[in-house]
Amino acid sequence: MTDLAPSTAAQAPAPRRTIRGYAARLVPLLPGLALIAFWQWASGRLVREVYVSKPTAVAARLYELFATGEIVPHLWTTAQELVLGYAIGVAGGVAAGYALGRSPRLARVFEPYVMAFYGVPKIALAPLFIIWFGIGPGSKIALSAIMVFFLVFYNVYTGVRAVDREIVDLTLVMGANQRQLTRHVYLPAAAPFVMLGMRLAIPYSVIGVIVGEFTSATQGLGLFIHVASSTYDPAGVFAGIAILLAFVLGAGFLAARLERRLLRWRTLSGVGPSEI
Amino acid sequence: MTDAVLTFADIRQTFPAPGDGAPTRVLDGIDFAVGRGEFVAVIGPSGCGKSTLLQMAAGLLAPTGGEVRHRGRRIAGVNRAVGFVPQQAKLFPWKTLAENVELPLLLRGIGPAERRDRVGAALRAVGLDGFEGHYPGQLSGGMQKRGSIARTLIYEPDVILMDEPFGALDAQTRMVMQDDLQALSRAAGATIVFITHDITEAVVLADRVVVLSQRPSRVLADVAIDLPRPRDVFEPFRNPGFDAAYDAVWSRFRTQIGLPSRGPRVREPAP
Ligand SMILES: Nc1ncnc2c1ncn2[C@@H]1O[C@H](COP(=O)(O)OP(=O)(O)OP(=O)(O)O)[C@@H](O)[C@H]1O
Ligand SMILES: [Mg+2]
Repeated sequence: MTDLAPSTAAQAPAPRRTIRGYAARLVPLLPGLALIAFWQWASGRLVREVYVSKPTAVAARLYELFATGEIVPHLWTTAQELVLGYAIGVAGGVAAGYALGRSPRLARVFEPYVMAFYGVPKIALAPLFIIWFGIGPGSKIALSAIMVFFLVFYNVYTGVRAVDREIVDLTLVMGANQRQLTRHVYLPAAAPFVMLGMRLAIPYSVIGVIVGEFTSATQGLGLFIHVASSTYDPAGVFAGIAILLAFVLGAGFLAARLERRLLRWRTLSGVGPSEI
Repeated sequence: MTDAVLTFADIRQTFPAPGDGAPTRVLDGIDFAVGRGEFVAVIGPSGCGKSTLLQMAAGLLAPTGGEVRHRGRRIAGVNRAVGFVPQQAKLFPWKTLAENVELPLLLRGIGPAERRDRVGAALRAVGLDGFEGHYPGQLSGGMQKRGSIARTLIYEPDVILMDEPFGALDAQTRMVMQDDLQALSRAAGATIVFITHDITEAVVLADRVVVLSQRPSRVLADVAIDLPRPRDVFEPFRNPGFDAAYDAVWSRFRTQIGLPSRGPRVREPAP
């Protein structure tokens, strides 16, 4: 025991620093916790509980939903729709944005159309999509994919067009063919824009799916929330929202991690956007 | 002329003006040749078409008239036998220094072992060994410039085109870089076309100085600089014969600058 003491003492500063580091990371949680505390306090005092429920009731409802498995089919349906809609939207957006960014000729023909559709409120398409793709997952995937598509497209298109002309010329003189130019210049130069588009698109994919499910669905979190709100079950509504929130935060966290990993050069160079 | 590596033959260039304005005549019959192993500096007033000439030599722009020949062959399409050092270093920000310098070899299909050796040698030559893993954003402006030069020297291009490579550097770094360039180019026997605004730089580095006129520009003078080498770039005036050489260039160049309006601020520096 005695001979352990010195080494513990020597290591002391390190854990202290990490504790402080963790504490610093927890600070952003404080406003959220304060809000939850206020909510708990105000419910039944300032506002009737039947309107706003309260955190403990929401937590209990969440537990119940998972314990009975009631939420699982909804969760499963929505997760599938989200993943598919997001993936299709991202893939389409990257491909189209890249193609139009690289080819001025394609861009001249298609850019006006894309920009025109960009302005259309996609949510207004929900009823149409239900007619076209049915009330199953198809319509939700389509709605979410189209919202994601435009966002990603726009970012990637801008990114590819912003590639430094001089660097492209230099690389050609150094001996690059078109394939090498893509690999060594266009893809890495566009990567920050792809990542940004992908990150911004996460909440939009959720909006697309949930609006679709609100409009008409047989299963899904959106439907669950819709039913809960029309049967005066505020705890259920908030439980559904909490699940969505967890999903968005989790996905955003993963995207930020991926971004930091792929774009290490930006963080190291100190030229990255401050939010990554 | 038989030994010419790069020949500019009666080059003319007109750029369409934005809107319906009259097109800009930039180059109006440029003629000069660059011999093997020669260091040619090109000076001329801003906007006279110096960068445009280099673009043509690199095959990135086709002249509206005349032709650029590289080893007797007319340049049509990107000229991969040249190396280009731009004014800004233009390293790839997403690659480390070593990856940047390695790229031309990679693009040319050279194997990994040889690439590693040559990258090591190239970085040592410009004094950047130890910074292999740094990203350009982590290097100073002068270091980036060295990286850019190493990236060009590494594939031993037949001609090196430099567009005001030291223009953006502070005075001290600039002199050190000039000294290094002189040593490197002598060691490599490189053929160099070097664009600059700075007469001292042109005279102290070059074997010949080509002076261009105002737009539409022509070759105003082609002055041979016969100062012995190696030359002292830190105190150029100490090189025997420097004053005469400087005068020969300046006397032609002075006719081309300080003319545009804005009277009160224009002052003629004494040579
Ligand atoms: N792509 C282009 N389209 C239209 N005009 C151009 C183009 N490129 C160059 N010019 C014009 O040609 C002229 C010469 O340009 P250039 O860049 O070659 O000048 P420069 O001699 O290198 O000038 P500086 O010393 O300032 O770098 C300028 O007047 C410029 O406006
Ligand atoms: Mg220029």
